[in-house]
Amino acid sequence: MSIAPLVRLTNITMTFPGVRALQNVSFDLLPGEVHVLLGENGAGKSTLMKVLAGAYQPDSGEIEIKGHKVRLANPQHAQQLGVSTIYQEFNLVPYLSVAQNIYLGRYPKRQAPLGFLVDHKTMREDSRKVLNSLNMDVDPASIVATLGVAQQQMVEVAKALSIDAQVLIMDEPTATLTDREIEKLFAMINRLRERGMGIIYISHRLNEVHQVGDRVTVLRDGQLVDTRDVKDLTVDQMVHMMVGRDISNMFPRTYQCPGEEALRVRNLSSARSGLKGIDLVLHTGEIVGLAGLVGSGRTELVRAIFGADPIDCGEIFLFGNRVTGLSPTQLVDKGMGLLPEDRKATGLALKLPVSENVVMASLQKLFPNSVVDLNKERTVVDKYVKDLRIATPSQKRLVQFLSGGTQQKVVMAKWLATESRVLIFDEPTRGIDVGAKAEIHDFMDRLVAQGAAVLMVSSDLPEVLGMSDRVYVMHEGAVVGEFARDDAKAERVIACAMGRAEATTQDQVQDDQSGREA
Amino acid sequence: MEQTCQPVQKKWFDRVPPVLWVLSIIIIWFAVASRGSFFTIPNFLNIAVQGSVLLILSLGATCVILTEGIDLSLGSILTLGGVIAVLAMYRGVPAIPAMLAGVASGFLCGAITGLLIARGRLPPFIATLGMSGLAAGAAVVMTNASSIYADPPAFVFFGSGRLFGVVPMPIVVAALTFGVVYVILYHTPFGHYIFSLGGNEAGAALSGVNTVLWKFMTYLMAGGLGGVAGVLMASRLHAAEPTIGLRWEFDAIAATIIGGTSFEKGRGGIRGTVLGVLLLAVMRNGLNVIGIRPVYQAVILGAVLIIAIIFDVLMKKRQEGL
Repeated sequence: MSIAPLVRLTNITMTFPGVRALQNVSFDLLPGEVHVLLGENGAGKSTLMKVLAGAYQPDSGEIEIKGHKVRLANPQHAQQLGVSTIYQEFNLVPYLSVAQNIYLGRYPKRQAPLGFLVDHKTMREDSRKVLNSLNMDVDPASIVATLGVAQQQMVEVAKALSIDAQVLIMDEPTATLTDREIEKLFAMINRLRERGMGIIYISHRLNEVHQVGDRVTVLRDGQLVDTRDVKDLTVDQMVHMMVGRDISNMFPRTYQCPGEEALRVRNLSSARSGLKGIDLVLHTGEIVGLAGLVGSGRTELVRAIFGADPIDCGEIFLFGNRVTGLSPTQLVDKGMGLLPEDRKATGLALKLPVSENVVMASLQKLFPNSVVDLNKERTVVDKYVKDLRIATPSQKRLVQFLSGGTQQKVVMAKWLATESRVLIFDEPTRGIDVGAKAEIHDFMDRLVAQGAAVLMVSSDLPEVLGMSDRVYVMHEGAVVGEFARDDAKAERVIACAMGRAEATTQDQVQDDQSGREA
Repeated sequence: MEQTCQPVQKKWFDRVPPVLWVLSIIIIWFAVASRGSFFTIPNFLNIAVQGSVLLILSLGATCVILTEGIDLSLGSILTLGGVIAVLAMYRGVPAIPAMLAGVASGFLCGAITGLLIARGRLPPFIATLGMSGLAAGAAVVMTNASSIYADPPAFVFFGSGRLFGVVPMPIVVAALTFGVVYVILYHTPFGHYIFSLGGNEAGAALSGVNTVLWKFMTYLMAGGLGGVAGVLMASRLHAAEPTIGLRWEFDAIAATIIGGTSFEKGRGGIRGTVLGVLLLAVMRNGLNVIGIRPVYQAVILGAVLIIAIIFDVLMKKRQEGL
């Protein structure tokens, strides 16, 4: 290759406490190319891009920008060297105008005696020039808060251009755009490419790769799989590169026939949460996995089932009784429990001791007279501490001082104490070390063996495949696939989660999908 | 182009700031209820004079609130500014340097809170609450808890004189201060950074804005404005009283919020604050003119504040077509 690369990352390694996020990853970007970065959740895409954007300092490895070796001290430094990032949450100030946002941090000043004043006129005119050069129909004087998502994104691009960025990192730019807006975005990306800009494009939507990409780099578990020309790869090959690993048999499951129907969701839709016609069923003695990419609507679905968010239509049945529209409190009474995704924010009272956290949701049940019997509390908590092997020096230890895995066990104990028979686990093992993870898996297995029903949301594909009796796959707010344990192969599930229709097993879903694929 | 940004065609009454409606209704009601003694030019000038100190203080409060902060020390800074100026004159310092010293004490207090908040990352609520105690206490100690008087001509003119024999000086001072803050807020980079601190501090930092410096500057400016307000107040009374600024910070915050500035996202501005200050000043004056007893005044004032803010919230929702 004769052209010098704009960016060259060599052997980047980066570790976070307990996790090796990147391991000897190399990456380069040529002028005038769109380089797509692919990988599962947690494969290291975002980490790699944050290294290039100056937000993280790698443990080892070299960064070269336009042929010069650099150490990026902070994001501003990267920006001065011409690397701009458009994050999913925009870096815009809502109540300033478009022009004021584009020039934020480097306002043009008026001439000498009035040198302390901002030159609004120049700023507006220059902004208009940049916006026009990108064929953007945004008025530089309009307030950013009044613009739609697509227009705000254009303002971000204009901002990057106006600081003369040659490298543009776009993190899932199409995630919140409509089809027409995506077309416009792609047209704009093409114009930027013709100007010789290098664009790094992170996306979960595989069907976009052939539309915009020149080359593609696939990461898996923090390691580089390969960098190839897009035209040499089919979508299926990309999926294989992303997944291609053995799902080891580390998940202990005792199998049994599913019992009675525990939870049924029929045609649940919610415009607010972006859920479209969800059907699913859960039996006692069953662990059902809910797979899908981040943002596919899994957490929203779980919250809707649990009555935490309103729904537009659809029905929910718990052991055959209609429970649609009940509040979380009422559902807990009826035997449902939710272990939320963010245990620190919504699952635990961090400043309270283990004992109070364990009995928190079952106070009414344990103490119907509204008087807390401390002896009884101690006995109950003791039982769960032993059962779940909660590693705490005492019941009175404050939860905030426990490790992540132990905290998660406290949350589990809380719901077990309510004697819930339908449990929803949202990311039960995220950020938990391997040992505690295995214990939690083991416990989930015992739980269903005793006749509970578990719905498990997880971004950890091996976990979903290893633990579940059945797997539902979500994509853009709809359930697009259902796999029995034996059919749930990594490639098929991930292809399905990426919105590839062929992989689904349900004919009816396939019909739904074919329209979108075309 | 435009229509994609603003799908809802706004009616003329949607462009009027909500607080103006409340203000107009109240003025008309006072005009009728007072049988003419409210609706006179001398009384309007009176209202403006009464509102001028609060306006200067509220300008500072508004800038701080735009950064998603709060300043609870403004009332105490006001007290201290007046005390220092008068005390200096009492000890024989000429009027102008003494008044400047009063203003400087405000800047000093602002610099301390600004440093604690921007550099020390203390929550604004705590840092300014502490400063409030400090400044109020210092004022009491310096005056031995009693009023002190001073009346050099320049000092008296600053608070009670009339420019060209027509316009009362407090109005002139308030108008000039408003002009300066207006230019800073809307025509200098500093002003834009104030909005960006409230709107998206992390984003501003990523765009290369020195967020620590400009946050410090915001509290510094608010403190300075408190000092100006304090000196003006003292020169109106020809005296410094050790508890004169008690609870004034709450009036300043109330005026800001009534004026449509939000505690979130750097939304609002100082034009609304002028209306908020007017609303408070008109209420106080009007209730006096029509002879409502002070105990009831507090109740009515509180109720009107709540109504004005509810009205503002409702109108904003309507204007955004939500």
